[in-house]
Order: sequence, then structure tokens, then C-alpha cells
Amino acid sequence: MPSDLLTGVLPRILQYLPATLLYWIVPSVLALFLGTLLCVVRVGRHNILYWLCTVFISFFRGTPGIVQIYLVFFGLPKVFYLFGLDIDDWDPGVFFIIATALNLSCFICETLRGGYLGVDRGQIETGLSIGYNRVQNFIHVIAPQTLKVAVLNLKNLEIDVLKDTSVAYTIGAVEILGSAKAIISAQYGTGQLWILGLVAIIYFVLCSLIEVGFTLASHRMERYERRYA
Amino acid sequence: MELDYDFMVTDFPTVLAGLPKTLILTFWSTLFALLIALIFGCVILSNAPAFKQLVVALNTFIKGVPLAVQLLFCYYAVPFVAKWLGSIGIYDFNPRHIPYFPAAVVAIACNFGAYITDVVVSSVKAVDRGQIESAQSVGMTGLQTALHVIVPQAVVISLPSMTNYFIWLLKGTSLASLINVTEMLITAQISAADGYQYLEAYIDAALIYWVVCAAIEFGSERLFKRVGFFLKPARA
Repeated sequence: MPSDLLTGVLPRILQYLPATLLYWIVPSVLALFLGTLLCVVRVGRHNILYWLCTVFISFFRGTPGIVQIYLVFFGLPKVFYLFGLDIDDWDPGVFFIIATALNLSCFICETLRGGYLGVDRGQIETGLSIGYNRVQNFIHVIAPQTLKVAVLNLKNLEIDVLKDTSVAYTIGAVEILGSAKAIISAQYGTGQLWILGLVAIIYFVLCSLIEVGFTLASHRMERYERRYA
Repeated sequence: MELDYDFMVTDFPTVLAGLPKTLILTFWSTLFALLIALIFGCVILSNAPAFKQLVVALNTFIKGVPLAVQLLFCYYAVPFVAKWLGSIGIYDFNPRHIPYFPAAVVAIACNFGAYITDVVVSSVKAVDRGQIESAQSVGMTGLQTALHVIVPQAVVISLPSMTNYFIWLLKGTSLASLINVTEMLITAQISAADGYQYLEAYIDAALIYWVVCAAIEFGSERLFKRVGFFLKPARA
């Protein structure tokens, strides 16, 4: 065990905690918007847009996240180059965030779609019959019930995204695991197992916090049901 | 877009040659993950005090740690374990050929074993109570009930989620490239290194992964339609 595990190594790893949280929160927020849009298309009519989204989702669900990260990392500069823009000096974190947001939005879309299909048709018709327009109906009737059904899957997705930030170091975006690897190589391989164990505990604590947060949220969303249960 | 289409076509067989290695890694990982899941699932279902809490705690911890961290942990643990196995004479440790493939199998199997344990537990619990009571009422022993009534139904019930995790595991094997285990992604990487045509090679790899995953999903749906007939009345 390295003698400075808690005094020296831990603070150096925790320096990169904000980076990990950034790589977790930004894709989550982006994917919630993009995923909702995809979901709206996916529950709608079967037109050309529907099939495009289906192929898009199938691709992102059928390929490993790390391959998608590489594709964005190497492919996006080429796409931008077509428009005469040079983005080679962008931070690798940006590419990681874009790739993760695209990936996550497909999973969120499918989760929300499952929740939406679980909403009782009668609820939607009732909302319309008491004079809500479609936007009001969406905000007051559809969205709360969809979220209530989907919240458990969303929790799992968010935990997965937090864990998947650990592959960001492969394209040079340094976060907790990346900093741990740097420390390991700097120490010429003494006490690697202790350092990785420390990293594992940090991730476990973060995941537990997400778990607690989502459990509280799901209790709040089910508050109307428990009253009559 | 400036893609080297010729390279993409000529490189495709090279990348495809990496697929068997990915599938072998998937096979062994799945096998051991299922084994772990069955043992853990039996312990949880048996409600054995202390053991159950221990297994649940272990599962929770494994699920809270990224696969990449587990892979790296096993990667760095290999020399220690191999040396220890060498010292007791089971394994001939050669520092020039460090066995990283088993390390990847252990890491992936432990990770997915924890997830599949939940599938095992919930599928057994999803078997209709009436089925178990009927089995007992015709005089079956506990073992007979388990073998002839619970297991066949639980296997069918678990099929959709098992497929999900299987596909997820197949995608997860790509992370083994982080610890220098030769599989499809690293094959693509190596083949592209000469001309820095990484994007082309990764597109090839992505296409192969996509086709394989879609095929597995399609096959599993067909299979479930055929063997899951007895679940339909309950769902309607």
C-alpha cells in the first residue's frame, strides 16, 4: 500500500472529480432534450423521419460506446472540415460529451417511449376533454405519468453514464480514472491495485448518491398513489 | 467527406477477422457470468442469513464500479495472481507472455454476473405461484418442482432481459481493448495505425458490431415468440 494513498493520491484524484461530474451532467441534460425529441418522433406517425430515427437509434444501441466515442473523435473534425471549419484543437472532452449525449439520447428515447406507451389512453383523452390544448395536456397529464413510469430506468441510465465517463481518458479527456492511470504510470507501478481500489470506491459513492437522489424523486412522483393505497 | 473508401473496403476482412476473438471472449465471459449469477441467485433466493446480505452487498458494489476500472484492476492483478499460481505449482508463469485474456474474462464475468443475478432472481419470482402449488399438490418434491416447473418457465421469462445483457456484454468486450486483449476493436486499431486511417477502420468495426447485435436481437425475438407462448394469456 502506498504510504501517501489518502494524503497524496486521493487529493490528486479528487482534483478531477469536477471533470467527471461535467462529463456526466452535460450529456445528461443534452440527451434529455434530444431524447425527448426523438421520442416524440418515435411515438408518432410512421413517416420518413420515423424511419430515420429508428435507424439512428438502432445504430447507437447496437454499437459499443467506446466505438462511438472514437467515431465522433475522428469523424467530427472531418465533417466540420467539409464546411471549412477547423476543430482539431477542441478539447477531447467536447468530443466525449457529444458522443455520450448522442448515445444516451437514444437510450432515453426508448425509456421515455416505454413510459409513454404505459400511460392510459383514457388519461390523455380526459385531459383533452376538459379543454387542455396539446401543450397543456403534455405538461400536466402526459409528462408526469411518463416520467413516473420511466424514472427507474432513467436512474439506471444515469448510473451507466456516470460509469461510462471512465472511458473518456482513451481519447485524452482526463477524469478520475485518467488521473489515476497517470499516477500509476508516474509511480512505475507500485500500489496500482490500491489506487484502482480507491477509484472504485469513489465511483461507488457517486453511484450511491445518484441512486438515493432518484429514489427520493420516484417517491415524490408516486405521492398521489400512496395516499390512496 | 474525405474518407478513404478503398481502404474501408480492403480493411473490412481484416477487421472481420477480429470478430471470432470478440465472440470467444463473449462466450467465456457469458459462461462464467451465468455461473456467478446462478450461484448468487440461489443464495439470494435461499434467504440464507448472512450469506444473502453478503451477496447483495457484493452485487451492489460491483454494479457501482465502472467496467473499465474492474478491467484495469484485473489487468494489474494478473502478475500477482500468476506468480502466486506459479509458486504453488499450478501454472507455469512466464513474464513474457502474461495471460491478459483470463483477466478480461474475470472482470467482464464479475461485472455482468452481478447484473444477471437480478435477472435470475426476478425471473424465478415471476413464475406463477399457482404453478408451484400445483406441483406440490401432485406430490413433487422440492427438487422436482425446481427442475420440472420453475426452471423451464424462469428460463423463458428471463429470455428478453438475458438477451439485453448478452448484447450489452458483447459491446462491453470492446473495453477489453483497454488492457491489450486482442479483440475486434484492437484489430481495427492496429490495422489502421499504418496510414492513420482510424475513422475508416472504426466505421468497419461499428458496422460489424451493429449487424451482430441486430442479428442477436432479431433471433431472440423470434425465439421468444416461439417459446413464450404460455405467457401470452397472462399478458392480454
